[in-house]
Amino acid sequence: MRRWTSLPGGVKFLLGIAALFLVLFIANSTLNRYVLHVITLIGIYSVATTSLNLTNGYTGLFSLGHAGFMAVGAYVATLLTFPVRLRIAYNLPLLPSFLGGPEYQWPFLPALIVGGIVAAIAALFVGAPVLRLRGHYLSVASLGFMVIITTLAKGLKDLTRGAAGIQAIPRYTNIWWVYAWLVVTIYVIWRLLNSSYGRAMLAIRESETAAQSQGIHPMRYKLLSFVIGAFFAGIAGGLYAHFARSIRPYEFSFYMTFHIVIMLIIGGAGTLLGPTVGAAIVIALKYVLKPVEEGLGIYGLVEIIYALMLIGVMLWRPEGIAGGVNPLKFLMPKRKGGS
Amino acid sequence: MPLLEVDRIHVYYGVIPALVDLSLAVDEGMIVALVGANGAGKSTTLKAIAGVLRPRAGRIRFRGQDITRLGADRRVRLGIALVPEGRQIFSTLSVRENLLLGAYHRRDPEVKKDLEWIYSLFPVLRERMHQVAGTMSGGEQQMLAFGRALMSRPKLLLLDEPSLGLAPLVVREIYRVIEQIREAGITIFLVEQNVNMAMHVADYMYVMEAGQLKMEGVPQEVMRDEDIKRAYLGG
Amino acid sequence: MFTATYVAQQLLNGIVLGSMYALLALGMTVVYGILRLINFAHGALVTVGAFTFFGIFVVLGWPFALALVAALVVGGVMGFLLDLVGYRKLRGGPEVSLLITSLGIYILLENFIKLLATPQPYAFRPPAFLVQLHNVGGVAFRTVDVFIVAVSVLIMVAFALFVKRTKLGIAMRATAESVEAAQLVGIGVNQVVAVAFVLGSAVAAITGFMWGAKYGQISYDMGFMAGVKAFVAIVIGGIGSIPGAMIGGFILGLVETLAVGFLPPGFAEYRDAIVFTLLILVLLLRPTGIMGRKEAV
Repeated sequence: MRRWTSLPGGVKFLLGIAALFLVLFIANSTLNRYVLHVITLIGIYSVATTSLNLTNGYTGLFSLGHAGFMAVGAYVATLLTFPVRLRIAYNLPLLPSFLGGPEYQWPFLPALIVGGIVAAIAALFVGAPVLRLRGHYLSVASLGFMVIITTLAKGLKDLTRGAAGIQAIPRYTNIWWVYAWLVVTIYVIWRLLNSSYGRAMLAIRESETAAQSQGIHPMRYKLLSFVIGAFFAGIAGGLYAHFARSIRPYEFSFYMTFHIVIMLIIGGAGTLLGPTVGAAIVIALKYVLKPVEEGLGIYGLVEIIYALMLIGVMLWRPEGIAGGVNPLKFLMPKRKGGS
Repeated sequence: MPLLEVDRIHVYYGVIPALVDLSLAVDEGMIVALVGANGAGKSTTLKAIAGVLRPRAGRIRFRGQDITRLGADRRVRLGIALVPEGRQIFSTLSVRENLLLGAYHRRDPEVKKDLEWIYSLFPVLRERMHQVAGTMSGGEQQMLAFGRALMSRPKLLLLDEPSLGLAPLVVREIYRVIEQIREAGITIFLVEQNVNMAMHVADYMYVMEAGQLKMEGVPQEVMRDEDIKRAYLGG
Repeated sequence: MFTATYVAQQLLNGIVLGSMYALLALGMTVVYGILRLINFAHGALVTVGAFTFFGIFVVLGWPFALALVAALVVGGVMGFLLDLVGYRKLRGGPEVSLLITSLGIYILLENFIKLLATPQPYAFRPPAFLVQLHNVGGVAFRTVDVFIVAVSVLIMVAFALFVKRTKLGIAMRATAESVEAAQLVGIGVNQVVAVAFVLGSAVAAITGFMWGAKYGQISYDMGFMAGVKAFVAIVIGGIGSIPGAMIGGFILGLVETLAVGFLPPGFAEYRDAIVFTLLILVLLLRPTGIMGRKEAV
């Protein structure tokens, strides 16, 4: 039998997927609903964190607006899939004719994808003016974008029911949907990194000036990674809406962004599986600690521990926890040698 | 005991070695020149002495004291001043502010007197005292960089390519001042691409190649070497 | 429809809010100038200052002046510690590490305050003389409004003199231009950065008192938006420019107040969205801001 390390990357990837779904299948049939709930949530956040990784981990940009793109995906997908008879009861708008008309309710998959596309278009509008500038501007502008989105979600009551949020969203999201999307997200990013686009993006992260001198247009690649990242954030948002079954504007807040950032940093920015590892650690920790926090009445404990973990990783292990031990290292694009 | 001793230092940029096992010494009161081709490691040597770069191995001693671990600002206090390549004056500050910052660590009352001395060395700086430094010509900025370094009352002045990019007339002016500085009792360690200029003023020379020392000696001796002649004097 | 007194009233409110943004922007821009760090933790110092004052003046019942000085001192000491423990080790590394760490520090402080003070907001009652109402030609204001504007102007003038006239201030501007060159003239960069943090944080803590006194309420999360908007003010004024930060603060305060005051009533809830739309417009049309130099991309 051939050794694992000598197998081509694509074969390993397929074997990995098969193993993942086998594990999920066993989990699905043996574990209780509570644990499956947590596993599904980990998957959703893994999609979000992996997509943030494309922007923040590989290109050296630092977007803080990820929750905003998730909000866009969540609201758009929800508005498309919401049951027709409940629309009237909830005062939600009926779909215009170009989206299928008042009697039409969208199936899950196309609704998710449209949510992702709208998020990507939003990213195009935010990214185009900001990405020409130094990385910091993107951080603040994307944070601003998130504030704009949540304010709009609160204000546009005819569309979103305002601060009350939307409830009774059909529960379409399950473990299979989530992990299938996670595989798609990781696959797309892997392919992207191994293409000429990916090498250009890494070159930009190393040195923008050097990349420019090789004829790479940093702006185009940065925008592309920002937009693709936003697309998958939108997907994660749509998955989240059809998992939690209710969405409110304030959920897509700075804290949601912060949690995704922590997952990324703890897992290891710039690694393919780091985001998933980070999401698992952070969410598992939350489910362990939340009862302690509520039992003892010390509100803020979980966030304090997250913050200390984040600061600790930045100070002593900046490559993250999964950073050094990435089992899928072979999927990383090979750097061309030399200085 | 030499004023400055560089003892078998190794300096890296990431994983790329820039200086390999480099040793040299500068005696008090001398002008010592360091020459070599582009990328030989001349500027790196100066930066390591000034404390901008830290050697991975080896020692640097100044007046017998080990300064290898000291930061750049601490070395200025001990009497090492660098006039960096590309001058690095504070372009948004006025000429006078630049000069006063040169004496940042000094608390003695003679700062005013030294300021006058700088103005007498470079009369143009007095005229431009309140001008924003970034608006001056390249030659004037070089003079300001000299003045700023001298304001710290250095015992050792490190000069990185003082003639680079300047008109011949200005270069001559700069070298006139270098002689004056030496007469004031300040030791000078000079990196120069313009080998003609260097051998003219230097008491002693080091030649570097690819991060290592290739040769040393008094200028006449060094320039007798056939290889050196071919490499630097075009024949 | 809009009377002259109404306009004057709105302008006044805008200037008061703008003063506070300007003070925060000032502290933030000095740190940004040297470290290229958007210090998210700056906003937390606003909360720290407000709660310190609240604890000493309202809970313990100690004198006003003492409470104010305590807020100032606690702010300054916190600034010093944050720099020492949080940021010093990361200097010279990727700028983004500093940014992420400052996010972590913000969340840490916010939740620590939440843990100590519980999540609910507190009514913030400054001493009676500050809430006394005045009326000049139909424009109503309280003593606290005068206090805020006067103290802000005082702090700004003092700061302008500091960076213009003192050796440390000049060294601060020099370090902002080039850390390496500053070290080469013997400036202890760590010392300069520490001073920037201490001054900026102390001023932010005082701003926290002002914020509470002006709006009558404090809560554990009050500093976040204030801090982020201070950065918006810096961008409007021009990154890297100290006068720009102050001008940007006033512009932002005025735009925010006037937008809410003159747009139809339904728009009031969009005030944060208006601020950030302004940010994106500035970045699109004039990324160097009003006073800014061109920054290397």
